[in-house]
Amino acid sequence: MLFLLLLIPLAASLLFWTVKSNRKVINIINISGTSALFAVSLFILKEVLEHGKITSNALGGIFYIDAFNGLILFTTTLVTLLVSIYSTGYMNTEYDRNIVNHSSFRLYYSLLHLFIFTMILTTITQNIGLMWISIEATTLASAFLVGFYNNKKSIEAAWKYIIICSVGIAFALLGIVLLYYSAFNSLGNTLQCLNWQFLNDNAGTLHANVLKIAFIFVVIGFGTKVGLAPMHTWLPDAHSQAPSPISALLSGVLLNTAMYGIIRVMTIVNKNAGNSLFTGRLMIILGLLSVGFAAIFILVQKDFKRILAYSSIEHMGIIALGFGISSALSIFASLFHIINHSLTKSMLFAASGNVYLKYDTKKISKINGIIKVMPVTGTVFLLGLFAITGMPPFSIFTSELGITIAAFKEAKYLAAGLLLLFLTLIFAGFTSQMLGMFFGKPHKDHGIGELNRITPVVLLIILAIIAVTGLYLPPFLEKLINSARDIILQV
Amino acid sequence: MEEIAKILNIISICILISTFSLVASKRILSYLNAFRIQSILLAAVAAIYSVYYLVAEGKLEGIIIIFFMTVALKVIYIPKMLKKISLRVEYKVEKDFFINIPISIIICCGLVVLTWFTVSKIPLMNNGYNGIFLVQSVSVILMGLFFMISRKKAIGQIIGLLVIENGTFLTAMLLTSGMPMIVEFGIFFDLLTAVLILGIFVFRINETFEHIDINKLRNLRG
Repeated sequence: MLFLLLLIPLAASLLFWTVKSNRKVINIINISGTSALFAVSLFILKEVLEHGKITSNALGGIFYIDAFNGLILFTTTLVTLLVSIYSTGYMNTEYDRNIVNHSSFRLYYSLLHLFIFTMILTTITQNIGLMWISIEATTLASAFLVGFYNNKKSIEAAWKYIIICSVGIAFALLGIVLLYYSAFNSLGNTLQCLNWQFLNDNAGTLHANVLKIAFIFVVIGFGTKVGLAPMHTWLPDAHSQAPSPISALLSGVLLNTAMYGIIRVMTIVNKNAGNSLFTGRLMIILGLLSVGFAAIFILVQKDFKRILAYSSIEHMGIIALGFGISSALSIFASLFHIINHSLTKSMLFAASGNVYLKYDTKKISKINGIIKVMPVTGTVFLLGLFAITGMPPFSIFTSELGITIAAFKEAKYLAAGLLLLFLTLIFAGFTSQMLGMFFGKPHKDHGIGELNRITPVVLLIILAIIAVTGLYLPPFLEKLINSARDIILQV
Repeated sequence: MEEIAKILNIISICILISTFSLVASKRILSYLNAFRIQSILLAAVAAIYSVYYLVAEGKLEGIIIIFFMTVALKVIYIPKMLKKISLRVEYKVEKDFFINIPISIIICCGLVVLTWFTVSKIPLMNNGYNGIFLVQSVSVILMGLFFMISRKKAIGQIIGLLVIENGTFLTAMLLTSGMPMIVEFGIFFDLLTAVLILGIFVFRINETFEHIDINKLRNLRG
């Protein structure tokens, strides 16, 4: 079952090259690939909920799924399914306008599924070395997708993306080497020495000082990929220049997988130290710094996709803050926030893609009257903005509230106060910058109506999910988040 | 093991010196040569380990594969490819660095001292050669990073990245005599793909911007 998760996207990625010139077949392969992936992940999730964890015996048990990465896997496959459906609408429109030709159309889908493959590989492994390899591979698979439009700006963004992420992640490798060294010193040389389960069981015998240094390197390295400030500089460029479905995947899925790497190492360090003081402080500082940076930069942007990108930095900061506080409530809220942010942000990027295709610009000042021109996209986009800034009844409100309450309960008053201040600033930034886009009269006649039939459907589905989970958490999800929380807290 | 550690120590000092010569070099071809020498020394470390295991324990360890891959990729293939790229994109070398060379060297010395100071604070590292090994290899990583920051052209940045990677490999080999095989393979594969993709992007930057000066890529800010 585990290998199916890897096989499906890889096979899909290769299958596209057998198609000669039939666009319909490409779309079918794309959607059936991601739906099969989602179905398999649901099946695996059911197993995980029943048995607690699944391990494959091959290769020293490097493939391993428990509730924590089960949760990340679920989010990944759900978002990729929705985004791949959206993608057909987006790319068909681009194709009809002759912006992409047939070979780059095929290349796009092939790379998309390769990108999905690397992300799935990251989420289902417990071997920290393999995790590093696959996170680096996500950068490589998505570099051409970021530079897909092949103009000055997108090439610059892609170059920045690949260089900054590769350097950052090289530091994570050093951290992993140190982690391995400390395990090697006290546990001997086995293939198990990089497996999370083994390291976690023997956390007490590792050297505390080496582990601390290793954790710093891992946080800086994977933190670059997560987009934590001040290592975030690639993120706004890559997210704004990539085609919108790719931005949705980068923001909604990729950042989580890198965060997953950090948290796995964090649990080992916490267990070794017996408390979360060291890791907690680091995560809280980086988290607040990210939220603060985002709050300032959102106020001065002129491009609506860049605002959404900075908002991703903000939300990753909030998630890091929640993990840093490290109480039962805050970790629950952080895990829930991962799901909420993935869905909401991919919805917003999808909506922004529709706006971009209609108006052919990303400048906020040139866009007016979205609600008149595209009623469904406009409404969803507007509601999505309120959702992402933390307005009830959407689910992000619930998880942000949870993290704030946890911060107050753990007597982290300064952190909680700063978080609330920054969130207010971000809300102000969002509304003052973007509300003007929705109302008024369009500058030019763009023609009224949606671009195609499929993209509004995707938007409405995601909107329904985030509105419902804001008020009611399905029992299976609650159980999953609870057991993931117990894994991270090690109770 | 004591004699082996002495030899490894000498080699890793040579790697550190080769990194200094990289930072001190002005031309693309001398970068590439310095990088190649560094990779040869890295391969020598892998070779010494594999010979040691063969003689002392009578078994062939996986580290011999690292030796072959280092020679094939880092000594032969990658420098050759980068040379080809640099000849194809028109590349006249003038001053392509922000900080002049004497000051760069002084900064790099500072980096070594800083690393030594930090490592000496870790109790575990004070016995035997491990502390010295860590100082040397982490210095190589930091100097690679400094090299990336101080060069303007795209190829300089690729070499900086490779030096950082070399330093990490050196750390892994000296401290733990190599990570598990599957991990090493994956890292080599990633490295090769990364360099290929970066090479393609150098061409694209050259086509679209008509230069490869990264310092002038300033469309996206803030």
